[in-house]
Amino acid sequence: MAIFVGAVLVAGAVVLFIVQPVAKGLHASLERTEDELTETEARKRVALLALRDVEYDYLAGKLDEEDYRSLKGELTAEALAALEEDEKARSGSVSGAAAAALEAEIAEARAGLRSAVFCPDCGFANEPGSRFCSSCGHALHGIPAA
Amino acid sequence: MIVLGEFSLWIALPVAIWGTAMGFLGGRSQRGDLVLSAERSIYAVTVLLTLASAGVVAAFLGDRFEYWYVASYSNRELETFYKLSGLWAGQRGSLLFWALLVGFFASITVFQNRRRNREFMPYVVGVLQGILTFFLIVLLFAKVNPFERLAFLPANGQGLNPQLQNYWMTIHPPTLYLGFTAFTVPFAFAIAALLNGRLDSRWITLTRRWTLLSWFFLSVGIIFGMRWSYEELGWGGYWFWDPVENASLLPWLTATAFLHSVMIQENRGMLKVWNMSLVVLTFLLTIFATFLTRSGLLDSVHSFAQELTIAYIFFAFMGSILAGSAVLILYRLPSLQSENRIESFLSRESAFLFNNLILLGAAFAVLWGTVFPLVAEGVTGQKITVGPPFFQKVNFPIGLALLALAGIGPVIAWRRATRRNLRRNFAAPVIFGAVVAAVLAAMGARHPLALTTWGVGAFVLFIIVTEFWKGTKARARIEGEGILLALYHLVIRNRRRWGGYIVHVGIVMIFMGFAGAAYNVDVRKHMQPGDTVEVASPFGHSYTLTYEGLSVSVGRGQRNLQWQAIALVSVARNGKQIGSLTSEKRQYVTSEQLMTEVGIRPTPLEDLYIILSAVDDLDAAVNNDPKAQGVDLQVLVKPLVNWIWYGGLILAVGSLIGLWPSTERRRVEDQAPSEEPAVAGAV
Repeated sequence: MAIFVGAVLVAGAVVLFIVQPVAKGLHASLERTEDELTETEARKRVALLALRDVEYDYLAGKLDEEDYRSLKGELTAEALAALEEDEKARSGSVSGAAAAALEAEIAEARAGLRSAVFCPDCGFANEPGSRFCSSCGHALHGIPAA
Repeated sequence: MIVLGEFSLWIALPVAIWGTAMGFLGGRSQRGDLVLSAERSIYAVTVLLTLASAGVVAAFLGDRFEYWYVASYSNRELETFYKLSGLWAGQRGSLLFWALLVGFFASITVFQNRRRNREFMPYVVGVLQGILTFFLIVLLFAKVNPFERLAFLPANGQGLNPQLQNYWMTIHPPTLYLGFTAFTVPFAFAIAALLNGRLDSRWITLTRRWTLLSWFFLSVGIIFGMRWSYEELGWGGYWFWDPVENASLLPWLTATAFLHSVMIQENRGMLKVWNMSLVVLTFLLTIFATFLTRSGLLDSVHSFAQELTIAYIFFAFMGSILAGSAVLILYRLPSLQSENRIESFLSRESAFLFNNLILLGAAFAVLWGTVFPLVAEGVTGQKITVGPPFFQKVNFPIGLALLALAGIGPVIAWRRATRRNLRRNFAAPVIFGAVVAAVLAAMGARHPLALTTWGVGAFVLFIIVTEFWKGTKARARIEGEGILLALYHLVIRNRRRWGGYIVHVGIVMIFMGFAGAAYNVDVRKHMQPGDTVEVASPFGHSYTLTYEGLSVSVGRGQRNLQWQAIALVSVARNGKQIGSLTSEKRQYVTSEQLMTEVGIRPTPLEDLYIILSAVDDLDAAVNNDPKAQGVDLQVLVKPLVNWIWYGGLILAVGSLIGLWPSTERRRVEDQAPSEEPAVAGAV
């Protein structure tokens, strides 16, 4: 008898527990908490990671000066292209003035500033005109060159 | 309690089916109420499985021999500790235990993600419940219900196989099961990503720690198994390439491949289809391992026909997983394009790729060697064995190539390596490896394969140590920190990378230990008390073993033990007494088979290992006849065996470093989910 009561209690509790949301209309959230990377963002990310790896390899002495220069030049061009593309893709959804400002910023970055930009997060000395830290990926917007 | 447990198992099945249906329906129709119900059903099934497992344990503790499972794996005399482990001692219990672990991991997953990653959860829950449903169906309908009752009440159980009454054996299976079951979570997320279309590397980031957790348990579980084999089976080895061992190695190989290839997807946006396939393959292999070890197919070749129900259910499940995943991957193929390409044959990307191909090649070879005899026997009825020589021959070059890659990978440049780059990074390590091999050869080690392994191992160790040194130095310079602090920060800031290197050190140690087997010494001698045997160690010294005599004790020690005949051997090294060793024959109450307990004297460089192979006149010896003291003794010297266990320890420490939650990473994740400093140059 006790066993029977126990079994009924267990079964009842389980059914109540799982049917309640449907019966009472309790909802679990299904929203994305963060946006998926767009294609341009993904490409930008990959390019930046590659750039950082080269920095690391150079710093750790795995790449010599010449290899470093040639790889870095290539990757910087790629990363800049990816950045620009990404900014362009984004500016589609931003107001015209903001887009123009971004364009100007990119142009300025491309023109190249005189000396290194130090990352506020990790202290890494970045190439002049860097918009993101090559070491940790931290955004370098508006940080003056040293 | 027991009846309630049995009843819980029956309620769990409809609940799991409901949860599976609600998960997929809720995801498809985006209905939050259905999804919440599905998520709750995971908790419910976990509670029910806990009740069922508690029922089994209660049956063991209460000596309820009316249950077939308890009667077959326990008896009144069994120690309580081993009664508790009855839950995974046999096929029926371990299938329930498997489901219980999946339930726990599923519950943790649902709880962790109650507010995060909601777009994945409906399908994740659906897949996890689907897997639980499968195991419940097996438990209830494949004639393996642990609660099955006998038609009569036996006075006592048959007892637990004495070989399983060993602490390594108590922790080895659950550790492996933890590894197998933890991998269901990455699998569920991968399928969820295929279903909801979010195919960036988010699912990989989310499940990285689960994959590593699974890998950690698999590795440790395999090493525990080797240790058990070494200490308990009494044949002097740690790996026999038998199907049960191979079954656990297979998912380990593919999981290792997956751990490496995800880094390419994260860093380079490549290999997306490959990673999906590896997750599916690894998951299938965990199921296959359970099938092979726990379907009864192997240990009961004679009852082949009786066991077919469970085989059909397993094959149907594995087949549908394979077909379903293949269709999903094909369907999403356009979204799984690479964002990059491999530029050069000589690059870190291609090193990763080679690593993957080699691991898969090894997995295929092991799978083939394992399955072929089964298939052949099923088809022709002839017993064919594929023995250790096949596996050794095939896996030796594979292992060596992998070992070399563990050194090449970390230092070869991303994208493409120039000749200068190669010379710069590899000249010193290659020279070091060659010098080590040359020195060893000069010291008398002439075995070519062992020498190669040690040389390559030295090459890899040199590279890893240099990596640590360079990284620390760079950090110390940039941050102005002391060396130790810089080293600490270096590791802490990128646990996965440096933890991975530490794992590589462990792997190198393990391989070096394997190579030590080339210098195993094996001496067998028939001995009377007072006789001595001389054994030369490959390290130059010699052991003199004196057989002191046989002593028999009756009914002492473990309650299940009838008698034990203990051979005492005193050991001298280069003529100097250093102690004694014992090896025993044991007779357990419940088993007709005689058991052998070996004696091991471990040192960092070699183990002295003695086996009491036979006693001349056992009956007389047990009756304490002083003349019946003649024995056959086998003496082994096993160089570098301990390096395997040390290596295992280092490997465990390395993977724990990789697993340890990092507050820093969480901060970074919150700020900028896409930039992950921890992956720089990761290997």
